[in-house]
Amino acid sequence: MHEMSWTPIGPPQPPPRPVPPPMPVAFTGGRREFFDLVKRGAGLEFITLGFYRFWLATDMRRHLWSNTEIDGDAAEYTGRGKELLIGFLVALAILVPIYLAYFLVGLEAERAQAFASLPLVAFFYLFGQFAIFRARRYRLTRTVWRGVRFWMSGSGWAYAGMAALWGLLVVVTLGPALPWRAAALERYKMRHSYYGDLQGKFEGRGWEFFKRGWWLWLLTPVAFYLLPLAPFIYGAYKAVEWRWWLSGIRFGEVRLESTLKRSALIGLYWKVTGWIVVLGLVFAAWLALSAGLAASMSATSFKEFFATQEFARSIPFLVFLGLGYLLFALAINVVIRVYLMRDLWVRVLGSTIVHGIEATANVSARGELANALGEGFADGLDVGGF
Amino acid sequence: MSGVMDSGPGNAFYFDGRSSKRRTVTLRLGEALEIEEHGDRLAVWPYADIRRADSPSGKLRLACTSAPALARLEIRDVVLAAELVARCKKLEEHVLGGRGVATIVGWSLAATVSIILVVLFGVPLAADRLAPLVPASFERRLGEVADSQVKVVFDGKLCENAAGRRAFEKLVNTLRESAGMDTSVQSGVLSTAIPNAFALPGGKVYVLDGLLAKAENVDEVAGILAHELGHLQHRDSLRAVIHNSGTSFLIGLLFGDITGSGAVIFASRTLVNASHSREAEHDADSFAIETMHRLGRPTKPMGELMFRITGKEGDKGLSLIASHPMTEDRLARMAREDRPASGPPLLTAEEWRALKSICSTSAKL
Repeated sequence: MHEMSWTPIGPPQPPPRPVPPPMPVAFTGGRREFFDLVKRGAGLEFITLGFYRFWLATDMRRHLWSNTEIDGDAAEYTGRGKELLIGFLVALAILVPIYLAYFLVGLEAERAQAFASLPLVAFFYLFGQFAIFRARRYRLTRTVWRGVRFWMSGSGWAYAGMAALWGLLVVVTLGPALPWRAAALERYKMRHSYYGDLQGKFEGRGWEFFKRGWWLWLLTPVAFYLLPLAPFIYGAYKAVEWRWWLSGIRFGEVRLESTLKRSALIGLYWKVTGWIVVLGLVFAAWLALSAGLAASMSATSFKEFFATQEFARSIPFLVFLGLGYLLFALAINVVIRVYLMRDLWVRVLGSTIVHGIEATANVSARGELANALGEGFADGLDVGGF
Repeated sequence: MSGVMDSGPGNAFYFDGRSSKRRTVTLRLGEALEIEEHGDRLAVWPYADIRRADSPSGKLRLACTSAPALARLEIRDVVLAAELVARCKKLEEHVLGGRGVATIVGWSLAATVSIILVVLFGVPLAADRLAPLVPASFERRLGEVADSQVKVVFDGKLCENAAGRRAFEKLVNTLRESAGMDTSVQSGVLSTAIPNAFALPGGKVYVLDGLLAKAENVDEVAGILAHELGHLQHRDSLRAVIHNSGTSFLIGLLFGDITGSGAVIFASRTLVNASHSREAEHDADSFAIETMHRLGRPTKPMGELMFRITGKEGDKGLSLIASHPMTEDRLARMAREDRPASGPPLLTAEEWRALKSICSTSAKL
């Protein structure tokens, strides 16, 4: 016979000392408001052929930051579009001669030996990692909470070197080293992050990340054959990554914790996939329509028009193609920003709990602003990251 | 609205920008905004210096240009917020308003126009000026890269029939010497049914077998070859490389990250490059005409061969986009420049037959 219940022996335990309750993080922004913001932004990007992107990125961050409330006080993003533009221009001034040199050296190297241009690819990889670090520093120094800013020290090149060596290990091991790479890089970034005089720290271990996500790594080759699996796998992977990342963050005595479920983000990735398919069909219909229109404007017969590839040189068709493609790309950007930026942000925040918030009651302001060069490089090299 | 107004307790919070301490404060709306905690005055903000800072809806958050940059005042009482907002005339001055957006749009359009102008006028000029400065060795390297691509695209079968090869070399050498070009010119016939011929950077000319099959006499082929030699002489391929990469780069710059590199860049580049290459074709035609004149051979056959291959082009779509001038216009020009034959034939009848079958017999070997 088994006892189904038991009573503790001895005198009743004294009630535990009152510990301040863990603090959930709240998001107060309206979805409609954000949608209007990105819709208007996409329109302005269209008119300015993309130059508005610096101001749009700033507006989106301002919305997300200022609606994120921790312990009753909302954060604030103090970066401005003009800073991003200047960062982009400076990055351009540095990247253009490098690209030119890259072209010349690459031509020379590739002629001598087929794999000789590999070190050059590695060089650009380093540059991209440098950009990721410096872009994070920029964003962090523009993040203000309770009148005190976050800031960052450390060296972008040291970070890039670390990222490259770890990246090499990931390639050599075909993937499994990825969690340890993430942990090591995050440790470096967080060790050099501060909120006022509170130093950051990262306590996530590569092993924990691996334990949660190894089966996704095994499933990845399957997803290449069974494409509908991809949003499931990627969504689950991102959820695991977010949870592990947030749960490892410390600032002094402040501890973050995330309870994000593995399935929490899969719906978002499915919605994005669905929208891209729908938009792709609309784009295809648009192409067919404009090709037909261009063919009927030309004197050649329909069959000949397509058989001779004359359509690839027809002005009206190219104009329609360019216009349609631009609108298609902008619409996809709107979808991605609403689902994968705003909605994802809200879901991740909703799962986040802050412990030991009282350590932030009286933090002294420290730290200097960093420039937006990293953001400029990230824009020029097309890399992203946290 | 005049006089002094005090806020009730618990409606306003103040962060001094030096520490994260949240202070519950009382506000006095007098001559300036006075911020007090337990009767101690913490700060005085002149109304003209007060600016709105980002905040969630329902909470008013203020900053002050004459206070520490991150000092913030938060007001959660709607009536008090409205009172204060009414007094701060420059509250929204720093906000990017309609005029700010108009400035961005205006400068973006200006940047777009200047990039387009550089693409249309600056890049061709730069290509013309830069091409002579590029060392021949570098151009040959470009040619080697292009050559290996060509061999892949056309299956890499070089026609090697010995008699045909001799006839082809004789023809090329006659044209080359007449045009005053050195022996660095290389040439060959590729076995493919596509009727075409082209020049690669670094001095290589390829004739495709399909062109030989459509040719009815040696003057037709000679004219086309002379045209391609013209491209070599003018270093048109190199200029096209400079031109293409410059144009791609600038157009990529323009569209930035909204599309990455893609259809828009391809579409715009096709439009731009076509007009540039039309000019190069015209010049290569002039070169071919002069060469044929010098050899005392007629120019009209070249135009006739092209016309046989492309057919009439005039009523097909827009001519602005075509990379070559329209064939009937070129034929008309060749016919205008045509002179009766005064020099010896370029190949004997036997050599001509050998050239025509340069690829067919090589297949048997």
